Amino acid sequence: MGLFQHKKKSSTDDALFNEQHFFDENFREELRNHGRWYFEKVINENGALFKQDLDATITELNGELKGHINEQLDVAIAKVSVELQGHVTKQLEEQFAEHNKAIQEAQDIALQQMATSAQNLAQQHKQLGETLEKAITDQQATLATTFEDSKAQITKMKDTQGLTLQWLAQSVQALQQQHEQLTTTLQKNVAEQKAMLVDVFEQNMAQVIEHYLLNALGDQYDLKSQLPSIIKQMELNKQAIVDDMKS
Amino acid sequence: MSVPRALTFADFALPTNIVSKSDVSRLVAEFEQVDDQLTTAAIRSKTGAGQPAPLSLSQQLTEFMNQNKLRPSTSKERSELIKQLRLLKDSVPVMHMTFAVEADRESLQQLVQWLRSSVHKQAVITVGIQPALIAGVYMRTPNHVRDLSLRASLKGSRGVLVKDLEALRGSR
Repeated sequence: MGLFQHKKKSSTDDALFNEQHFFDENFREELRNHGRWYFEKVINENGALFKQDLDATITELNGELKGHINEQLDVAIAKVSVELQGHVTKQLEEQFAEHNKAIQEAQDIALQQMATSAQNLAQQHKQLGETLEKAITDQQATLATTFEDSKAQITKMKDTQGLTLQWLAQSVQALQQQHEQLTTTLQKNVAEQKAMLVDVFEQNMAQVIEHYLLNALGDQYDLKSQLPSIIKQMELNKQAIVDDMKS
Repeated sequence: MSVPRALTFADFALPTNIVSKSDVSRLVAEFEQVDDQLTTAAIRSKTGAGQPAPLSLSQQLTEFMNQNKLRPSTSKERSELIKQLRLLKDSVPVMHMTFAVEADRESLQQLVQWLRSSVHKQAVITVGIQPALIAGVYMRTPNHVRDLSLRASLKGSRGVLVKDLEALRGSR
């Protein structure tokens, strides 16, 4: 027994030991991370390629779909146009037929009314002619009567005119006399008015002169300069003033 | 000197600087005031309260006293004089005079002098102004009015003016 009692280890055990020592937890984790990174890289690359292919496919599909839709629409529009044209044509023809019928009926009614009107006009024309003939006959009779009356009136007017002329001559003579009298009276009145106005003017003139003097002489003299005149006036009225004061 | 027994308000002569009735009223009021001052002074001298202020009389009162020779020395005399002055104030004859312009004091004194020498020795005047009179005076006594103005003169001469105008018209 001693230090070298230990059994010598085999190479397999060493390899296992080395393997276990080499592939420890850290190394395994490193390997997992590397694997994960690699997997992600592959996935991303494949995703990008897939996306590129998908875009190309979608673009191609869009183009084909657009072309197909256009084609289908053209066919449908052509078909609808043909059908619409037929329908419109049919409708128009029906309406034209109805209008023609209505116009024909209106023409018939108008012709009927015109015939009736013409007949009425003929009757009215006949009646008017008869009335006119009658009126002319009446007018002729009236004119003859009026002429006779006018003739008599003219004769009367001539007589009256003669009388009027005579009366006018007399009136003119009377007017001349009145005019002369009026002229005389007017002249007399004018003379009187003139005299009256002059009298009034003289009265007013006196007032005007007084007013002028009042304005012109006012404030011209002070009391001192008036005093001799005032005392003189008072002297003249002295006895009366004394009597007033005593009474 | 004292107020003589016989001297009453009717005997007073008014100086010419007393022109209007308000001057007379002022004279009475002033003399009453003087009497009050003299009475107060007498009482103060009796009580030995000191010398009173010297009296100051207006020119109107001084002239009135001098002209009438009045020297009332006792309180009784002053009271009698006040009584007479009051009677004078109530009895002075007043003449109202209206002028065309404002009356100066000197002219009024001359007019009062004439009135006192010619009409009544105690006559006073009251004054009015009326520019429409132009000149002259409009007098009013208690019972009468006298228009001695130029306006009245012109009015009275209006007939002459009308006659002159008529004559002028006749000459044309």
